[in-house]
Amino acid sequence: MTTTDYRCDVLVIGSGAGGAPTAALFAEAGLDVIIAEEGPWVDQGSVVPFSLEQMDRQYRSGGVTVALGLPSVAYTEGRCAGGGTEINSGLYRRPPQDVVARWRERWRIDELDPDDIDELAREVEAEISVQPLPGPASAPSERLRLGAERLGWTHDESPRWMTYPTSDPRQGQRQSMTRTYLPRSSRAGARLLTECRVDRLEMSADRVRSASVEFVGGRRASISCRAVFVCAGAIQTPALLQRSGVRRNIGHSLAVHPTVKLAARFDEELNVPDDVPVHQVKEFAPDLSFGGSASHPGLVALALLDQWEDFRDAVTAWREIAVYYAAITSQGRGRVIAVPGLRDPVVTYHLTRRDRALLRSGLSRLALLLLESGATEVYPSYRGAPRVTTRRELAKIEETFSASRASVMTVHLCSTVPMGEDHDRCGANSHGRIHGFKNLFVNDASLLPDAPGVNPQGSVMAIALRNARHFLTAEWPRV
Amino acid sequence: MSAPSPAVVGPVCEVLLSHDLPDLSPERRALVVEFVRLRIGTLPTHMRLGVTAIGFAVEGIRRAFGHDRVVRLSRRPLPLIGEYFRLIRSLSYAYIWETWPTTTPDGGQP
Repeated sequence: MTTTDYRCDVLVIGSGAGGAPTAALFAEAGLDVIIAEEGPWVDQGSVVPFSLEQMDRQYRSGGVTVALGLPSVAYTEGRCAGGGTEINSGLYRRPPQDVVARWRERWRIDELDPDDIDELAREVEAEISVQPLPGPASAPSERLRLGAERLGWTHDESPRWMTYPTSDPRQGQRQSMTRTYLPRSSRAGARLLTECRVDRLEMSADRVRSASVEFVGGRRASISCRAVFVCAGAIQTPALLQRSGVRRNIGHSLAVHPTVKLAARFDEELNVPDDVPVHQVKEFAPDLSFGGSASHPGLVALALLDQWEDFRDAVTAWREIAVYYAAITSQGRGRVIAVPGLRDPVVTYHLTRRDRALLRSGLSRLALLLLESGATEVYPSYRGAPRVTTRRELAKIEETFSASRASVMTVHLCSTVPMGEDHDRCGANSHGRIHGFKNLFVNDASLLPDAPGVNPQGSVMAIALRNARHFLTAEWPRV
Repeated sequence: MSAPSPAVVGPVCEVLLSHDLPDLSPERRALVVEFVRLRIGTLPTHMRLGVTAIGFAVEGIRRAFGHDRVVRLSRRPLPLIGEYFRLIRSLSYAYIWETWPTTTPDGGQP
């Protein structure tokens, strides 16, 4: 195959919530930046959100990826320009100040000031147009709000990174990376190489010299650079580092927000196939929170699958059904392991006993919430689940639920290269530089020391800005 | 390292669909089987290897003992093998109801 060589000041690997803001700041500071993105550029609006076609084009492995364990935890990763910001629900949460303070103390992260992070979050919010809906929420979202109100549970509307040309929330346009930081980086001269997979980093002592990449079609190339920022997400970042021989405290501490689901049927047609509810119930946060999932008919069928013989008749009523989730802040941990000879890393996750109990009580409480909101039938997603129609039947969930029988999944992955000055636990220093290396950095969800208990992409972007600015002032002159 | 072809899942997928959704037309069933086969072909390498290995074992059972044994096996909550059947059904059902949302629980059209 032809070999083409590229040169740049900084190579940014990955173009999602970590990589895109990093690249924009560097390019605007006058650095010569290349962004290597494994996936394709897909224009927003060219695929239906949450559809199988979207999974084919914008998700890694068609959206079928699993952290092995008992039970296994299904997860998804974006694999396209913009990464996960292109495919998720666009719901935004500012980094919780108490969580930031905890990270600073427990992982000995220097110069991590919750107020500074708050300020950076405001900057992110302005850039990506974080705002509430301009009009009424969808019916599945309103049901969540109604159930919480009737129970007296804390709830709120999660703002989204959307702009709204009209007062109709359905006309919203997601302000993901392909509409915000990536165009900014391009205007400032950054080069985006799509369908370009970085196989490994070529090292020389404590420095990265170049990256070996392969384009779709098999063309290989080498990218020489003065510094590398790996921003490929909490699974691919540690996998690339391990493939390149960097292993100390890399990939050992995967943290996620495991979720379990149920389908709820109402006495009206309320299904919105291509959107998700914005209301979230936070009465038991940060341990446990409730929200709504994508609910197109294929996903309704999936939610009914575990107890298909009993629930199958409901599938024809999918217009009256919406899918909801209970998410927990897990105390379990997982691993990402790059196995020599295999293209993809092996991922594992272990739920603790407390996690399992929390998933059980979470599913039961979620069912209660939906019954209060007017659901006529609730179908929990686990083998042996009962069809629940009254409060009295909720006890059956407590009796029969087992995490190992459930469809556990997550979309929030982090903490595989935790940052901090605790060299026994942290793979990177307080600003993302890999311990022991002079010009190798991580700047994505991998750095978050643990799962923040809320959607982590706001935290990822704020910390990415923090670390990128620190690099420009403190590191770049030396590399 | 490339994984073996996942074509081995095809016959078992046919068996499960014929049992679970007896009214699904042969043409649609063929489309679903092809979709499942292609999707399994895009799994991460280690998963594809595992699925293929289990697939050969299940296919052996199908050939030796017939379709009914495979269907009975698919109902048992066995580790790994249970996940294999669940994967096939998940992909199949998601495809069917996304592509043809009015499909009845038996796979037919209203």
